[in-house]
Amino acid sequence: MVKFAAALRAAGVRISLAESQDAFAATQAVGVMDRRRFRTALQTTLVKDHTDRPTFDKLFPVYFGSGPEGMPNAEDQLTPEQIEQIRQALSMLAGELREMLERMLEGRNFTWEELEQAAQRAGLDRARTMADQGWLSRRMAQQLGLAQIMDEIQMLLNKMAMAGANPRDQADTQAFLEGSLANLQQQVQNFAGISLAERMRETVPQHIDDRPLMDIPFQNLSADEIDRLKHEVSRLAARLRTRAALRQKRGKGRRLDPKSTIRANLRHGNVPFVLVHRVRRRKARFTLICDVSTSMRPVVSFLLLLMYQVQAQVGRTRSFAFIDHMEDISQAFEGQRPEQAVPEVLYRLPPGHYNTDLGRSLEGFFRDQLGAVDSRTTVIICGDGRNNYNPARDDLVDLLARKARKLVWFNPEPPALWGTGDSDMPAYASLVDAVFQVANLRQLSQAVDQLFA
Amino acid sequence: MINPSPESLGQSLHDQQYIANADITTVLYLAQALGKPVLAEGPAGVGKTELAKAWAGATGRELIRLQCYEGLDETKALYEWEYAKQMLYSQLLRDKLNSLLADTKSLAEAADRIASEEDAFFSMRFLLARPLLKAILSDEPALLLIDEIDRADAEFEAFLLEVLSDFQVTVPEIGTLAAKHHPLVVLTSNNTRELSEALKRRCLYLFIDYPSLETELAVVRLRVPDLDQAMARQAVELVHRLRQLDLRKSPGISETLDWARALVHLNADSIDRETLQHTLTVLLKYDRDVQLARRALQRDADRRRQIEAERRTRGMHPEDEGLDIDSDG
Repeated sequence: MVKFAAALRAAGVRISLAESQDAFAATQAVGVMDRRRFRTALQTTLVKDHTDRPTFDKLFPVYFGSGPEGMPNAEDQLTPEQIEQIRQALSMLAGELREMLERMLEGRNFTWEELEQAAQRAGLDRARTMADQGWLSRRMAQQLGLAQIMDEIQMLLNKMAMAGANPRDQADTQAFLEGSLANLQQQVQNFAGISLAERMRETVPQHIDDRPLMDIPFQNLSADEIDRLKHEVSRLAARLRTRAALRQKRGKGRRLDPKSTIRANLRHGNVPFVLVHRVRRRKARFTLICDVSTSMRPVVSFLLLLMYQVQAQVGRTRSFAFIDHMEDISQAFEGQRPEQAVPEVLYRLPPGHYNTDLGRSLEGFFRDQLGAVDSRTTVIICGDGRNNYNPARDDLVDLLARKARKLVWFNPEPPALWGTGDSDMPAYASLVDAVFQVANLRQLSQAVDQLFA
Repeated sequence: MINPSPESLGQSLHDQQYIANADITTVLYLAQALGKPVLAEGPAGVGKTELAKAWAGATGRELIRLQCYEGLDETKALYEWEYAKQMLYSQLLRDKLNSLLADTKSLAEAADRIASEEDAFFSMRFLLARPLLKAILSDEPALLLIDEIDRADAEFEAFLLEVLSDFQVTVPEIGTLAAKHHPLVVLTSNNTRELSEALKRRCLYLFIDYPSLETELAVVRLRVPDLDQAMARQAVELVHRLRQLDLRKSPGISETLDWARALVHLNADSIDRETLQHTLTVLLKYDRDVQLARRALQRDADRRRQIEAERRTRGMHPEDEGLDIDSDG
């Protein structure tokens, strides 16, 4: 069980010492006789996150596999006459072919030594991850002679047929042999799993998967990575929300709370020594503005996804996108899944050539949408600040920064490029409350952390 | 009542009209044996709160429920001084206080006299016990249900940790109050927020998912015995079909039961298209979901009809189709 817990840890499940102690106590309480119950006891104490469940499901049989007792017994499944028939048919087969079939007939498992040798010959040393289990067990099966067994069973059945066995006997024999085969294969697979898990345990546990994802630029992600990214983003959006909410709660309002003041001063005979102010519990509000122009296209679907998640989690969020004019995209995000919403937004705002104009977009924003920004709104602008030499209108950005509680800029470009060519970023950067370079998940996560730190 | 084994606990739960699978009974049994809180997670409406109620019934404990919400704080969850009552008492007892202080010579002496009587005003009499304290102080063993913990703030979670780890509470004016009986604790979460590692570490984790078809059918039969057997199966099969769709809010067991009851009340004798049109809103709570479900069910029905037509042209008899929502023809 200690090994099992260690293997789970190696596979990325977080298990504390207290939890493995609980696991021991729990298994003592339910006993080990009932396998299912034993499994539940381990699961409830060790796996505290639903997403870790598949890992547990994969490793549990590896460590507490069905084991030797599962081998089907020939005497139980076949009649003595059938066994006799099989023996006769066997005697007609060549020597090396007979070995495995006889083993099955006698219900003998592979021994630990046999398995260990097979694993070594199959190249255990070259295995790297748990994903190699399939590969390793296939090679082990080959080494142990299980690979050709289906042919052998067929040959045996042919011999039986020639000896005049009726179809029913043949079917029974086949069912029995295939059952035995499945059992042996399971044994090999379990052994492969254990050996691998043990090897993995020796190597330093590391989150091989996580690190690259954090650093891959948004534009170079595979489909699978995008899925994981989505998950991360929704987590980040949740964090953004709680952070913003926390900050707002801490900020005390000016208003006196008469009820609480009376209560607090009862012990002073209602002489108001202590004044209690009403703590304003204002919910976080976001207004998100995203540049979806050509220069931003590589990362834009990711940024829109972030906006989608923020809007889904924070009630009062308004989302806007612009190229040469501002467009309210909150509606598109409402009631649609991100897979539909993001392309729809991109379709609505087709990229043109050199037409980004934040100045004009902001003008439109100030004209039509000023209600979206007030003193409690956090405004996040995602864009590279490249305006195609159009007027920067930094006065409007300044105004926006004054109106909003906080104005934050996420720019996918590295700071070294700010100000080069048509970038108006330096002008903007001096006006907003914070600028972050956000070109990958790590930077986004850092930005969210620092935003309200 | 102590349940000696998971099986007997399962039976007791069944007596409370709750059908628990082996996982659930084992975890609850473990919670009793180890004295640990159970953290039940899962989609909304799979019977997490029901489980706590049934467990309380099965163990003969009083159920004390704390519903969490954003902004829940200690005064609402743990205890509060009943100021109004204190005020009232001090007003009513003014004469007594006067006589008590009559023979004091100096202000300091009077203050000392009052101080010595302070206990009278900060005693259990004026303490308003909220659910957590109630569970700790309860004379009978109790079951504490902390519902939807994911809705409470992170600060509250931290505070809860402290209470759950030693089941004692310190009230500055009175002292430390320790639990007479260790209450059983169930926390439920709809997984809208990641709970802290520390809280998870202290709990036994139980994930309750949507039940299998047979289990859900058993639940419907147990809770809505008036519903015709064949109809019940049809209804549950339809709900399972709906859960496969990409809905904003999949129907939970509670919705299935509501629907089953609605069907009984409507005296429906089969789930035909018209009944479905009228009652689908019992199962689905978003307009978009309802539209989506209608379209999907319509597609299913069309496909079935097509298959049937093909069979007929081949001169074969249509076989049993299982669920047939278009049996009205």
